[in-house]
Amino acid sequence: MTASEPESGRGRPRLGVFKLASCDGCQLTLLDCEDELLALAGAVEIVHFPEVSSRLAAEGPFDLVLLEGSVSTEEQRELVHAVRARTPRLVAIGACATAGGIQALRNFADHEEYVRAVYARPEYVSTLAAATPASEHVRVDFELRGCPIDRGQLLELLVATLLGRKPQVPDESVCMECKRRGQVCVMVARGEPCLGPVTHAGCGAICPAYARGCYGCFGPKESPNPSALSARLSRDGASDDEIARRFRVFTGWAGPFREESLRRGR
Amino acid sequence: MAEVFLPREALGELLGALRASGRAVIGPTVRDGAVVYDEVESPRDLPVGWGDEQAPGRYRLRRRGDERAFGYAVGPHSWKRFLFPAREALWRSESADGGVPRIEAASPDASPRAFLGVRACEIAAMDVQDRVFLGGRADPRYATRRAAALVVAVQCTEAGDLCFCASTGTGPRVEGGADLVLTEADDGFLVDARTDAGRAVLGALPVVPAGPERVAAAEAGVRACAAGMGRSMDVRGLPGLLFGNLDHPRWEAVAERCLSCGACTSVCPTCFCSTTETSSTVDGARHEVLRVWDSCFGSEHAQIHGADFRPTIGLRYRQWLTHKLGSWTAQFGVSGCVGCGRCVAWCPAEIDLTEEVAALREGADPPAPVPAAAPPPPAPGGDPLLPHPARVTARRVETPDVVTLTLDAGDLGDVLPGQFLMLGLPGIGEAPISVSGGGGGVVEHTIRDVGAVTRALCALSPGDHLGVRGPFGTAWPLEALRGRPVLAVAGGIGLAPLRGAIRAMLAAPADFPDVRVFYGARTPGDRLFLDELDAWTGRPGATVAVTVDHAPPGWDGHVGVVTRLLRGGAIPAGAAALVCGPETMMRYAVEALRAGGVPEEDIFVSMERNMRCAAGLCGRCQYAHWLVSRDGAVFPFARLREVFGRDGF
Repeated sequence: MTASEPESGRGRPRLGVFKLASCDGCQLTLLDCEDELLALAGAVEIVHFPEVSSRLAAEGPFDLVLLEGSVSTEEQRELVHAVRARTPRLVAIGACATAGGIQALRNFADHEEYVRAVYARPEYVSTLAAATPASEHVRVDFELRGCPIDRGQLLELLVATLLGRKPQVPDESVCMECKRRGQVCVMVARGEPCLGPVTHAGCGAICPAYARGCYGCFGPKESPNPSALSARLSRDGASDDEIARRFRVFTGWAGPFREESLRRGR
Repeated sequence: MAEVFLPREALGELLGALRASGRAVIGPTVRDGAVVYDEVESPRDLPVGWGDEQAPGRYRLRRRGDERAFGYAVGPHSWKRFLFPAREALWRSESADGGVPRIEAASPDASPRAFLGVRACEIAAMDVQDRVFLGGRADPRYATRRAAALVVAVQCTEAGDLCFCASTGTGPRVEGGADLVLTEADDGFLVDARTDAGRAVLGALPVVPAGPERVAAAEAGVRACAAGMGRSMDVRGLPGLLFGNLDHPRWEAVAERCLSCGACTSVCPTCFCSTTETSSTVDGARHEVLRVWDSCFGSEHAQIHGADFRPTIGLRYRQWLTHKLGSWTAQFGVSGCVGCGRCVAWCPAEIDLTEEVAALREGADPPAPVPAAAPPPPAPGGDPLLPHPARVTARRVETPDVVTLTLDAGDLGDVLPGQFLMLGLPGIGEAPISVSGGGGGVVEHTIRDVGAVTRALCALSPGDHLGVRGPFGTAWPLEALRGRPVLAVAGGIGLAPLRGAIRAMLAAPADFPDVRVFYGARTPGDRLFLDELDAWTGRPGATVAVTVDHAPPGWDGHVGVVTRLLRGGAIPAGAAALVCGPETMMRYAVEALRAGGVPEEDIFVSMERNMRCAAGLCGRCQYAHWLVSRDGAVFPFARLREVFGRDGF
């Protein structure tokens, strides 16, 4: 099968895992693929994965790179360009790499003020003013959303890459998953604020399964309409400030959520 | 049979009798703040004493203050969940080394079930889905589960806040479709057994004669319910109204409010759109294909390679409503709305379909002509979703990105020019590919490499196996065109679906004395079937004109779009035309043909939409009043006149 032939022309496809500003939770999802881990390790050659092995080969080349984390420092900005040059297929994984992550909350504020408020010795901290997703710096071939990413979606990405098919990662709403599971809508039946109608599927509607509203950690779905959701939340009694905060969590820097939160709040 | 009375205390015996008949009882139960459907074992599981308040985007349970077990209006679940599950395995495959992939249908759960508490609107919804899943190419999975379900209906004597079944003519009285019909009173249930299965259950129950008063009271309750509906909808002439008002300003207004989340289609008891999902083992040896609920509000619903027919929320909402209340009738013979109000209650954006319809009637333009209501056309049996292995016997490279595969047709039967097959590779996916020739036990497909599936198909070699389904769709109407001049107008890969028709006509010069081929390609290097084009040119009664969009030095043929070939005397009197190519090319070709005097009834076009199941079961190939894979892909243009080239279809 041509599509699975490694671009580097050597045996199994060569996999690299890199991280920028992040908590490591997304890359650890790879280790979480317990039942499939051995088969995966046989199907790909893990060339660079610092969480797993001290045998590192950051220079590659790679056939596939999973990139976690947001670009938060100058070194990371250089790294993302360097990694891009070492692989034909760059996949950003997780809310940080695809939307900037929780650390992108500083983008809405004065980051120097934050640094002074948080760190005893701010002069040791060297950071960019904004934490941004990989796609703001380089071409990204595919994005896996979520905080953290979903194990099943990661496996699908890897298997699809090996087989040469399009990864089946629907860009529909969380509502679709919630309804397929037969769950009762927490917003309609309990008045619970929920970002499900504007949020990208992939988690399996896990929060509504525990009677909580979705907080949007997979970021905006395709063609979202956040202002229509704001209107609903507002009719249910939420203030503009509350609405802005709701959109501004793990994926608050993602375009449609960012714009809506800025429309509603500071 | 005379109706009888079951005292409230004996409700448990009804559940017991249903279970004793070997059936799992699925009924209403309270969970997470709503009445949902799940397995129930005793009356304790039922929503005894619970009612509800509903408004657009709002649902709350309330205590009724009595002991009614069925005193609620419908909640978020419908029986669709049990007859057409949200996720279901269709088939599994295992690759044998270098051999034929083993493909096995997944067997549906056929265990007998009793549905308890089915409302009249829900029986109507089952009838709607019966037409979808059993009316044309039948889905054996749905058929199995439907046959294994006993329906215990409960007539409504109180209308819900969002109910409008009286408007849609689908309730609240239970007319048919039930084995047992209950009508609840304070002290028990009036019971009417309508089938042998229902009578067998009733025989085990401690019922007493009902008496005329109870019967009259039940009748009065149903009448009062009909009179007290929380909503109403004027359904008169809706298909024509909707299709006559595709540019009504209300569509834009509702698009501002719609979240395109798909909640409405998911809770709708008749919506049937699905997609497929493949799960594969890491080694790529085993695959399982599942059918999964989909929605016309999703991005992929109307996408094909290189085109997205409904990119905006406004177009998606319009598609949903015009299908549900309009084109459904031409496709399945009934409206897709049964007046249950679920889409209103469970819309997070609080959109009320009855309000939208009323608003669309305001300042409406005159209705558009619409096709007559028609049930699905009869279709061959067998499992239309299960691929069969086929072997590649020859491969020919046509151009740098186009390959013709010859397949051993096996037991496909007759495959006519214009029809298509679903070609697939386990683990990669399927694509609809028109036949480009064949006969004598083989079938040919000419495939352009445009995506993952077609790339993998193009890479197959003689001896390789693939999965095929079909043939599907309509054929070029050659029989009807005998004796007339026929123009075959092709653009790009569109020559492939026409090749079989051209060959057939050229092989019968007595029937087709004047065949004219007009073919446009991007460049000379993209021309397909070069040898054959030359051979056709030499045939008596045949002409071939080729043009290219971009010509390199040395090309001395026509340059420009294919419609330029149709000018000045190219179109003989009495001609008919077969047209296949990109939609823009077909639009201009139809214009040129009309200008040249060819009536729209005699222009045939081959349409392409997202054909996922190809059997009319998945709803993905919606094209206004038609399902392209069932009613097309070859259509007389006259049928499409109203919508061809319009945004959103």
